[in-house]
Amino acid sequence: MKAAEIIDESKKVHFLLGNEAVVRGLYEAGVSVAATYPGTPSSEIGDILYETHKELGIYFEYSINEKTAFEVAAAASALGKRSFVFMKHVGLNVAMDSFVSLGVSGIKGGFIILTADDPSLYSSQNEQDNRFLGKFAKYVVLEPSSPQELKDYVVKGFEISESVGQPVMVRSVTRVSHLRSNVVFGDRKVVKSVIGKPDRSNMVLLPENSYRLQPEVSARLKKVIENDYSKNFMILEGSGEDVIITSGAAYNYIKEAMERLKISAQILKIGMVYPLDVERVFDIIMDKKRIIILEEGGPFIEEQINSIIAIKGLKKQIYGKITNDVPPNYELTVDRVTQVLAKIYQIRWQQPISTLDLPRRPPEFCPGCPHRASYYAAKIALRQKGWKEYVAPTDIGCYTLGYYEPYGIGDMLLSMGSSIGTSNGFSIFYGKKVISFIGDSTFFHSGIQPLINAFHNNHPLVLVILDNSTTAMTGGQPTPENSGAISSIEQIVRSIGIKNIHRMDPYDLKGSIETFKKALDEDGISVIISDRECALEADRKKTKGEWKIFQVNQDKCKLCYNCVRNFTCAAFYIKDKKVYIDPELCDGCSVCSEPYVCPFNAIEVI
Amino acid sequence: MSSIVLAGVGGQGIITVGKIIGEAAIIEGKKVLMTEIHGMAQRGGAISVDVRIGNYDSAIIPHNSADAIMGFELLEAARNSYKLKQDGFILANRRMIHPMPLIRAVSEYPVEQVDTVISKFKHMYINADEIALSIGEKRSMNLVMLGALYATDLLDIKEESILQSIRNSFTNPRIQEINIRAFFEGAKVLREENII
Repeated sequence: MKAAEIIDESKKVHFLLGNEAVVRGLYEAGVSVAATYPGTPSSEIGDILYETHKELGIYFEYSINEKTAFEVAAAASALGKRSFVFMKHVGLNVAMDSFVSLGVSGIKGGFIILTADDPSLYSSQNEQDNRFLGKFAKYVVLEPSSPQELKDYVVKGFEISESVGQPVMVRSVTRVSHLRSNVVFGDRKVVKSVIGKPDRSNMVLLPENSYRLQPEVSARLKKVIENDYSKNFMILEGSGEDVIITSGAAYNYIKEAMERLKISAQILKIGMVYPLDVERVFDIIMDKKRIIILEEGGPFIEEQINSIIAIKGLKKQIYGKITNDVPPNYELTVDRVTQVLAKIYQIRWQQPISTLDLPRRPPEFCPGCPHRASYYAAKIALRQKGWKEYVAPTDIGCYTLGYYEPYGIGDMLLSMGSSIGTSNGFSIFYGKKVISFIGDSTFFHSGIQPLINAFHNNHPLVLVILDNSTTAMTGGQPTPENSGAISSIEQIVRSIGIKNIHRMDPYDLKGSIETFKKALDEDGISVIISDRECALEADRKKTKGEWKIFQVNQDKCKLCYNCVRNFTCAAFYIKDKKVYIDPELCDGCSVCSEPYVCPFNAIEVI
Repeated sequence: MSSIVLAGVGGQGIITVGKIIGEAAIIEGKKVLMTEIHGMAQRGGAISVDVRIGNYDSAIIPHNSADAIMGFELLEAARNSYKLKQDGFILANRRMIHPMPLIRAVSEYPVEQVDTVISKFKHMYINADEIALSIGEKRSMNLVMLGALYATDLLDIKEESILQSIRNSFTNPRIQEINIRAFFEGAKVLREENII
């Protein structure tokens, strides 16, 4: 998305991804500062800001991790600037400490944190519902359903935040952030921001200050309800004796499901889910026969409605997640909502079969990926050293795919940086050196401190830093190393005091195998930096003449299938029992032509 | 109103086609929704994009209700057929990208199995990669596919709108022109086959 499109005039309609609409929202709201650590499904906001922030007049940075990104934005707000921080849902866990504190301190310049949750776990380790964390930290929580609402809620969210002095959370999900639809542009606000020193009696949470602030926090939230802000986020549609209460992406599936079942009900769509205006909601639902609650994630609205109904002593049948009428996990769809409603309304509904018995296509390393070569070399080294059993914690990045066969590397993964943290623990009792794998961006994000811990507490380990000079899985965002700010990861590791540091080029299998073997023999901590740029990034820089394509010389091939069974590049394929290389897919990395993959030298440059 | 599934493998230019269709709908003042699903792989993973034009709220196309599937790759065309309505149409590019579990198991591509699934529906096979290559730009395969789908009239979008959208999508005039050519070549193939 180009800057010219983002700054197009008011009333214009653009076909925008939810994440793109957010950027327009920031522009309309006159935001000064935005920061993030990349994470799907919110990454594109950063990609666009990185390219366009100067034209938009927004300061933007990729911070080292979500906690720092949060603090960058929080400080800008403390000075009076409208500030924005965004991250994937689990990124909030990293920022949690400061996130909770800001709920107490409150804000000066409007402050929004956008979290993109991932129900159905398309690219995440859990499907946590961050609305609960928003409520926990006493933030105003807004839940948009479409790209248009994402933009509009960002704009309105800043106004509410400034008017009550409390931070706002915008909770998106994959299916809203990655939804593309018509977005009508609004006017750009003129924001007067006065830079002033932070209000230190609120911003320094000494027990005394924080004690004084506790009732103020409740008062700020109360003001949200008193000022009736939630009304603008509520939509009541349709008619019927029943009501379906909904929010976020779930809203998008209800009408089509009702049409299929030929049923009618009123739909109450709630955009401000915390603080929830329970009195207003109660007035709408008190006369209804059935109350059905459809939301993605946990029973967040449902719990609040259950409690107001209990307080008012109303006897009503509620259908939701707590009553097992709505499935507790995964994102909803028209098909799933149809099934839920069919059961509640006792309508026969035969859900069409969706699984065909076809070969799966799981995610895999790209052709030319240096991680494939690193794991392949590691496996050979371990075999040659006679290590049949070992513990190998892994981390978050493309290289997590090494978990799958034939590499089968990865024994524990909790969160960003946990490879090194868990290695510390494993090394106490496992009795053998732990082999740990982490990527460069993840190392900067949260790998450095556990490595210092390993050194501090004498935990032996072989740490492999897979340095592909980018944040690959989220689309190639910069790292402190490839931006040139830090000369090398090696320098950081050395400064800790670690002596056994090796560099290897994973494309050189022979050298890499020797490096692994040497590190396995060493005492204490050994760090291997596997140094080779992400193939996708390298491909973008290649000129036409630099592209090499490999093929299998069928006269030389002895059909041992080592290349397809153990190296398993996606560019290989099988036809009439013979191995071929798809020229459209071959990256030309040449690793498969090395004798460690093809002992018969049958793989040659075309 | 129309619901189209675009299915294939990462790197085939599928999202670009979805965006061109969507932009064209917006040029005509229509509501459009598009959603994509791809796993954590950057390249080589399965991708499916649902595009819906008209008064829908859900971008995800429910089972048995898509009007057409644009299969950029054979296996992915078959895999998404559960979304197609009974009288829906599959446009299947004869491109085989072998999935890793089959490669590792030294197994062949399941050509017959895929054909059996696709043949249950009104369908047409197309050699979009070859057509693109014949006009000198193999990367324009996706526009060949778009042209062929467009010729079915399932999109209900004026030709001038889709051409405008293609022009808006590519800044380089040479790429613009070659993609428009690819679009017309694709349309020609479908019209000659007279399938719809």
